[in-house]
Amino acid sequence: MRSVVALELVVASGKGGAGKSTVASALALHLHREGWDVIVVDADATAPNQHLLLGASSWERVERVEGPGVAVIDQGRCDGCGKCLEACPFGAILKVGERYVVNSVVCEGCMACALVCRAGAISRARSEVGVVRIARTRYGFTLVSAELLPGRPNSGKLVAREREVASELASASTVVVVDSAPGIGCQVIASLAGADMALLVAEPTPAGLSDLRRVHRLTRHFMQPSALVINKSDISREVSREIARYASEHGIDLVGEIPYDDAVVESVSTMMPVTEYRPGSRAAEALSSIASRVEGILRGWRAWSEEHRPKRPEPYIPEIIRPRGE
Amino acid sequence: MIIAVSGGKGGTGKSTVAVNLALALAGLGAKTVLVDLDVECPNDHILLGVELGPAKPVEAFLPFIDYRRCTRCGACAEACQPSAIIRSRDGLPFVVPRLCIGCRACLYACPSGAILEGKRIIGSVHVTGYEAGGVAIRLVTGMLREGEEHAMPVVLRAREEGLAMEADVHVLDTAPGAGNAVAAAISGADLVVAVAEPTPLGAHDLDAILRLARELGVEAWVVVNKEGIARADGVAEVAERHGTPIIARIPYSGAILASYLSARPIVLHSPGEPGAREISRLARLVAERGGLGAGGG
Repeated sequence: MRSVVALELVVASGKGGAGKSTVASALALHLHREGWDVIVVDADATAPNQHLLLGASSWERVERVEGPGVAVIDQGRCDGCGKCLEACPFGAILKVGERYVVNSVVCEGCMACALVCRAGAISRARSEVGVVRIARTRYGFTLVSAELLPGRPNSGKLVAREREVASELASASTVVVVDSAPGIGCQVIASLAGADMALLVAEPTPAGLSDLRRVHRLTRHFMQPSALVINKSDISREVSREIARYASEHGIDLVGEIPYDDAVVESVSTMMPVTEYRPGSRAAEALSSIASRVEGILRGWRAWSEEHRPKRPEPYIPEIIRPRGE
Repeated sequence: MIIAVSGGKGGTGKSTVAVNLALALAGLGAKTVLVDLDVECPNDHILLGVELGPAKPVEAFLPFIDYRRCTRCGACAEACQPSAIIRSRDGLPFVVPRLCIGCRACLYACPSGAILEGKRIIGSVHVTGYEAGGVAIRLVTGMLREGEEHAMPVVLRAREEGLAMEADVHVLDTAPGAGNAVAAAISGADLVVAVAEPTPLGAHDLDAILRLARELGVEAWVVVNKEGIARADGVAEVAERHGTPIIARIPYSGAILASYLSARPIVLHSPGEPGAREISRLARLVAERGGLGAGGG
């Protein structure tokens, strides 16, 4: 799905609350002010926040996204055999009294249940999984955001659709900044797959380092060059040094450290990027310097990406147990 | 009693509250199992400072095609919702393991018995013992293999293994967000403890988790963590709108951060610290709510 955009940069961290949104919004704002054409994609469909930070007060376009549907059991036809409950791989069929019912919040719409139902009592109903929406931020650039309905599957599908929408809106010189979800699952993979580079954000705690390693494994799977920001770097000098060492061992470009600064929390409370709210603060200055470094990466893209692309390919290899007699 | 610790936004302190709540409940005499269902980035063992116990693989069904039996009818590809079975121009089916969600629909759809049951390892479950300061709990951790995107089966399996262990209280630590992996964790719990940070973003994401809890019919309590870093008006307003009580307020403190960095849970190592006292108070409220009685069950 290589698109026309100039470059797609994904901000990822594994751990939640590491500062992805803070870094992504400051970076987008900096690039916009320096004359770049920027689109921000908020790829955390289960807890989107960029519209609050970037001041998107109304949506210009809202697109409802349907999932694969959900199973529905016709109680009149059901003969109570219970095969559907056994077949459901996601625990989405429950026995309530003598009736079998589908928990439509958990159902992924695979319809394995319908295939085993001898009474033909199970059919597919349409289901909406969420929305993809577009807004102009108060700073003038475009935000693509998504929101999953609480508890639904297919958040990865929403993220893939967001990136598609962004590339439709983009020109050949647009930089797309993708603010990914925490974790390493479907939303993060849907954010990283086919993107040009990862900007990793880590907090210097043992948990932060563990999660950084896990998400970095993914960027290596995708052969993406990575840059790194250490956020709240002064809460542990020791773990910060350990993270910097990890980065240098793996050819990750450490583009800056942000000290812990109350101004960041205050800026979130006022729902503004900290570089706007308190430009002179230590965190804002660090973020500005990081954004300039990243801008430098974009300008010297060819050389930088060659230098920082993982040297050893580490493709995703599924761990497979073959059936007997295959 | 099953308590799910959740909260929406990442980094609000779910794991800190879950780990310390589990230890505090154990300290009250309740037999406690902590289940880490943040399978994409599980961290409870890191907070406890223990090495994970041995890995039990979590396997997912992966179809293999017996081409001697395959009649090229296409039923498998048609049944495959994530399009993990593709067909060549002459109709031969091929499996793309990465896209497969392990649902077996192809197996049920194939009329000629040409789908063989292979497996793929998508993650692991670990059982780890923890004992310190006269308090013991067991930790069950679900871990998604890096590169796998389907967290759900690992969540379900870790949850099942955790709940199968006999205990007075099961504390489930969920992933951030309010997606289906969180729904699966919360579903069937007696109580959701929603940990929120006092910022507009924390309030926004708390709303999603409280909506989910209501949809699943699970009672919720709100815990404000890092109280004092900003005004908690937004969180209070969301909690009130949902008719959910704010049951505890854990102040932001260097002591909690220090305990986080040193893997020494605060309720054990600085029990007098205000944050530790607040979590211990929360544990007593939970124990009361679960009828565990003073001094344990």
